[in-house]
Amino acid sequence: MEPILSIHNLEYRRGDFTLTVENQTFLKGRIYCLTGPNGAGKSTLLHLLALLLEPDRGEILFEGTLLKGAAERQRLRQRITLVEQAPFLFDTTVYDNLAFGLRLRDVGSDLQRRRIAKALQTVGLDGFESRRARALSGGEIRRVALARAMVLRPVVLLLDEPTDGLDRRILPLFERCLTALSDEGVTVIVATHDADQPGRLGGDILRLDGGRPASPAGASAPALSNEPTEKSS
Amino acid sequence: MGFLFESFQHAISLILSFDREVFNTVWTSLYTSTVAILLAAAVGVPFGTFLGLGRFAGRRAVLTLLNTLMALPTVVVGLVLFGLFSRQGPLGSWGFLFTPWAMIAGQMVLATPIVANYTVAAVAGADPRIMTTALTLGASRLRAMRQLLLETRFGIIAAIVAGFGRVIAEVGVAMMLGGNIRGYTRTMTTAIALETSKGEFAFGLALGIVLLTVALVVNLFLNLLQQR
Amino acid sequence: MKTVRILAVLLTLSLFFGHTALAAERLRLATTTSTENSGLLSVLLPPFEKAHDCKVDVIAVGTGKAIKLGETGDVDVILVHARAQEDRFVAEGYGVNRRDVMYNDFVILGPTEDPADIKGLTDGAEALKKIAAAQATFVSRGDESGTHSKEKSLWKAAGITPAGQWYLEAGRGMGEVITMATERRGYTLADRGTYIAYKSKTDLQVLTEGDKALFNPYGVIPVNPKKHPHVKIELAEAFAGYLTGAEGQSIIANYRKNGEQLFFLYK
Repeated sequence: MEPILSIHNLEYRRGDFTLTVENQTFLKGRIYCLTGPNGAGKSTLLHLLALLLEPDRGEILFEGTLLKGAAERQRLRQRITLVEQAPFLFDTTVYDNLAFGLRLRDVGSDLQRRRIAKALQTVGLDGFESRRARALSGGEIRRVALARAMVLRPVVLLLDEPTDGLDRRILPLFERCLTALSDEGVTVIVATHDADQPGRLGGDILRLDGGRPASPAGASAPALSNEPTEKSS
Repeated sequence: MGFLFESFQHAISLILSFDREVFNTVWTSLYTSTVAILLAAAVGVPFGTFLGLGRFAGRRAVLTLLNTLMALPTVVVGLVLFGLFSRQGPLGSWGFLFTPWAMIAGQMVLATPIVANYTVAAVAGADPRIMTTALTLGASRLRAMRQLLLETRFGIIAAIVAGFGRVIAEVGVAMMLGGNIRGYTRTMTTAIALETSKGEFAFGLALGIVLLTVALVVNLFLNLLQQR
Repeated sequence: MKTVRILAVLLTLSLFFGHTALAAERLRLATTTSTENSGLLSVLLPPFEKAHDCKVDVIAVGTGKAIKLGETGDVDVILVHARAQEDRFVAEGYGVNRRDVMYNDFVILGPTEDPADIKGLTDGAEALKKIAAAQATFVSRGDESGTHSKEKSLWKAAGITPAGQWYLEAGRGMGEVITMATERRGYTLADRGTYIAYKSKTDLQVLTEGDKALFNPYGVIPVNPKKHPHVKIELAEAFAGYLTGAEGQSIIANYRKNGEQLFFLYK
């Protein structure tokens, strides 16, 4: 399995908070769970990996190539997608929300329709195409946001607390989507509060605390387990 | 004053009889103000968007300047542009003075700060997630901004309506730059000014009522557009 | 989006209409507000426009501004009633071939109570002397118009510099000044044409008239093409010729407002 994303000497500062990750590699097709207390920097790290934020120092490599320049970052954003903690849906139909990214990628309308139908089916929202985004419930919004990201077939899918407050009956369906994606070769990186979620997803754990990985991060080996007693340096 | 009721009657009869001259002034008002607001939007909306989103040194200063320009007295705009468009002025060879084009230019100068300012408010107050969502779905910065405008379309339309209201109701610029030429550059407002200066208060007010009616119809139409 | 398409259509339509409006040949005439307000031009211009297949754009402003527009070349021809300024206009090379068109006269209006007792006088300067002596309200145009120039010359002839609370310099057009004088029960100098037009709106009376010094001649002057090559000189000369020719003169002489003749011809 090849590394898809790797971080070297990354530093990001905003006000009093600094996120520092010396070395971290993410392999293709694996699931990673970012854990840690509030304010640890999970969200920030996801936004950096999504290329929505620029680090103050350090590099991000995609498939081994160094990323430089805004144009390259924009191109790569077509292959790396982030689902926000409180997802924002455009004020239009569910269909148009899902089609947004597909239209950017010049996907033909027939193919669009098929992919959208399939994505909605996968998240259990069959036939929701013409519903207005503003009329959806919280859980439906989360699922539409996931479908919107999935339909783009990203190489890397980042999710920020995607199942927080999600109906317990929908939770297994949601998690099954994520594992299925990983089986298809998508690298899935999930920030989560749920202590049992990493176990259910079967992913590697990267724990953050106070802006730093909570356990020593090796060159290519992911950090292991989440001993709550571990202290950050 | 006794002429108030008389004016109302006069206004109704003017509207119903499709009086040729009144019709001309209505058309001139609508035509010049519409073209002016379209041009103002073409400049003001992008400018307002960039200003609303941008973070650069001097942004505060630009915003303050924009706020000040909203209160531009129409006669001042009229005077400055008169100086520009007169044969003696730098743009004299364009032959704009006393044509509808000069009025359109003047009204555009009046409306652009309003459109830009309201756009800044709409954009700056918009959900910051709009941009990041569009970007993470693979949009270019420009495409993301377009999406932002789509999501804030109510605010943008309000900006355009505000600008339109200002220009269709003003008289200083239209008078100075248009010359109030009958059948050519006479707008509803300059016609009212003329009738008032002739002491025809009732007729002037009647035209005023027509003006308000036209503004009402336009606003209803824009409202319909917003509903879609 | 549908909206964008509607707007695009509107913009195209507007450009199209703008173009057709510009297509007709246009002659720009600067004249005074009193001339325009008399209504004479609405009957005088159409035959000319038809005969020459053009449109005459009438820009009605104060005398000073009308002349200024001629100086800057923003119009093709001027029609004003301020002899001294007209002569200067030609002498300084701004205009060519000035022609006498018509004349009307000025009158001194006042309230029926006539506090300065000028009723029946035929000497303008004499009337103003009495007004100043009585410190009766007098409303002046105050705007360098033809009327204002005439008023100033009368004060000069009377040897008085008007000043004080009773002398109101309005800086407005003739109609507004008459309205103001009516409200303030004061006197004013007005051209007879505007007074006739305002008869129904004011209860001021003509108290002094007939003085040769109250004579108000009109002149038409095309703008000098040597100073402003873009000026439509042939059309302007044709216009001046029309005003002074048989057809134009007959229309002027026959023009009535509220049943009264406003303008008179030179014999």
